[in-house]
Amino acid sequence: MTKSGNASLIDGAAGHGRETDYEALLVAAQTGNQQAMERLLMRAQEVAYRFSLLVCGHADDADDAMQEALLKTYRFAGQIKEPAAFRTWLYRTVKNACLIGRRKRVHEPAHMVSLDELMVAPDGSVQRMDVEDGGLRPDDIVVNSRLRRTLRRALQQLPPEFRVIVFLREIEGLSTREVATVVGISEANVKTRLHRARLLLRQQLEAR
Amino acid sequence: MTPVRSDRCRELLVRVSRYVDGDLGGVERRALTAHLRRCPCCSSMAESLKHTVCLCRDASATRLPPAVRARAKARVEALLASESKTGNRARPSKRPSR
Repeated sequence: MTKSGNASLIDGAAGHGRETDYEALLVAAQTGNQQAMERLLMRAQEVAYRFSLLVCGHADDADDAMQEALLKTYRFAGQIKEPAAFRTWLYRTVKNACLIGRRKRVHEPAHMVSLDELMVAPDGSVQRMDVEDGGLRPDDIVVNSRLRRTLRRALQQLPPEFRVIVFLREIEGLSTREVATVVGISEANVKTRLHRARLLLRQQLEAR
Repeated sequence: MTPVRSDRCRELLVRVSRYVDGDLGGVERRALTAHLRRCPCCSSMAESLKHTVCLCRDASATRLPPAVRARAKARVEALLASESKTGNRARPSKRPSR
């Protein structure tokens, strides 16, 4: 990593989410670079905010999740021996923080459907997913300023088990292996869920 | 609305995500590519899935709203200021799993 490369990471100019970004920031923070630590702590909170909003669907919980991500990142950043593992550690920490927040709620959105309900027919057989082609591409319908709001709504229609996969893989850009580590399922399972989630998301977007 | 019709289309549909991700081996990729060339239904589906994936990836550029960002920054500054006053980094009660 060049000096200028580090500077752009610290300034936040290099975008968010890439594994190498986190690794470089963590290494810099571990060697006492205050700006790198600040940037890392901001990144942790950004992840927590997006997770709260897009996966849990509860913006009200975001502050709690952000606080938790901030403190844990600060406490543990100096002790992580494998900087490359930091990103999966952060997402797992955020996921757990958000899920704890969600459990505190007395109700869940009525639209949540369990994975089993979606995949298994009453006779116990696995259902095939019928997918219709409306002939319209999602971006024919969803444009510019409406995109994020529409995508967020479409995401909320996905079963939570699918939503977290889409969030980690598509939006946050984690690899299949990283997603498997964060969620605690096999890579094959990640691929299967991702495929089904994409089909459902596509339908949701076309319906809007 | 045109449903995906044939069993062959259904069989290949499960590979479309891997195709979009560039994750198919040579034989599977060639077979799917050949099918997509002659099947408008699956071709449209593959294109549509690509665009869905692109939309999600575009959303990754989302920044924090200004008010949320200001609160996040204030939390960072408060934490670092309080730690520099005490001269101690907060100590964990347990090690992270990785």
